Amino acid sequence: MKIDEVYGAWKDEKVRIDIRESFSDEVMCKIYQYEQGRGGLLFDRQQIVEFIYSHRLVRVVLVAAAGIAGFVRIAFVVFMFLAS
Amino acid sequence: MRQEIEVIRQILDGDTESFRLLVERYERPVIRMIRNITNDIESCEDIAQDVFFTAYRKLASFDPVRGNFSTWLFTITRNKSINAMKKKRALSMSELPEEGDSHNPYDEVAEKEFFRRLDSALSKLPSRQKRVFVLAELEKLPYEEIAQIEGVRVGTIKSRINRAKKRLRTSFKVFKGDIS
Repeated sequence: MKIDEVYGAWKDEKVRIDIRESFSDEVMCKIYQYEQGRGGLLFDRQQIVEFIYSHRLVRVVLVAAAGIAGFVRIAFVVFMFLAS
Repeated sequence: MRQEIEVIRQILDGDTESFRLLVERYERPVIRMIRNITNDIESCEDIAQDVFFTAYRKLASFDPVRGNFSTWLFTITRNKSINAMKKKRALSMSELPEEGDSHNPYDEVAEKEFFRRLDSALSKLPSRQKRVFVLAELEKLPYEEIAQIEGVRVGTIKSRINRAKKRLRTSFKVFKGDIS
């Protein structure tokens, strides 16, 4: 047996795979559970977090909004302090 | 491809059961890819479940204009595999079997030894090279699709495959012959 034949046999072995028969059932079960849990919620918290993580612009807007809110709050406190 | 997009449209319209078609179609390549990238035989099916679950949840973000569903799914698989490898070094070097002394590839024992050495060499490849090798040599994906999955240029993929093969080849200097 030549070396490239053995290499080919090794690749064939790496490609061979046994999957438990219930695999797709287990995935679908997980999905149905997820759907059931999601049904009662108006906002899916996990989805909101994922949405924020996956959109850079949303992250930038949220950080900017938080920064502005913080600045306004500090400015207000300073203004109140100086006014008194 | 068109059929797949139709299935995806049905799922997004609320026909959850149609997702089973996609699971059954892609379960083998997804599990195989995870197994070969992570070397984690025990948890590769659990990771694959997570891949399909994530794919289901993010299905609305799949854009057929940007690429095939398979490319999109394999990208999720790649990312989950990387995360799994970060969490757990699946097969530490101490777990690898002892190296034998066989130099003759022409019998069964030598073949097993050859396989073991290849497994060992594959597990020692840098993560990027290993992923590309698995996708190209074992999954037989076209370079363009691998480039999309990895988010790099086709030239980079070719170079990584060449480097991976070179490393595998150098692990077998003891054997006469070559890897095509």
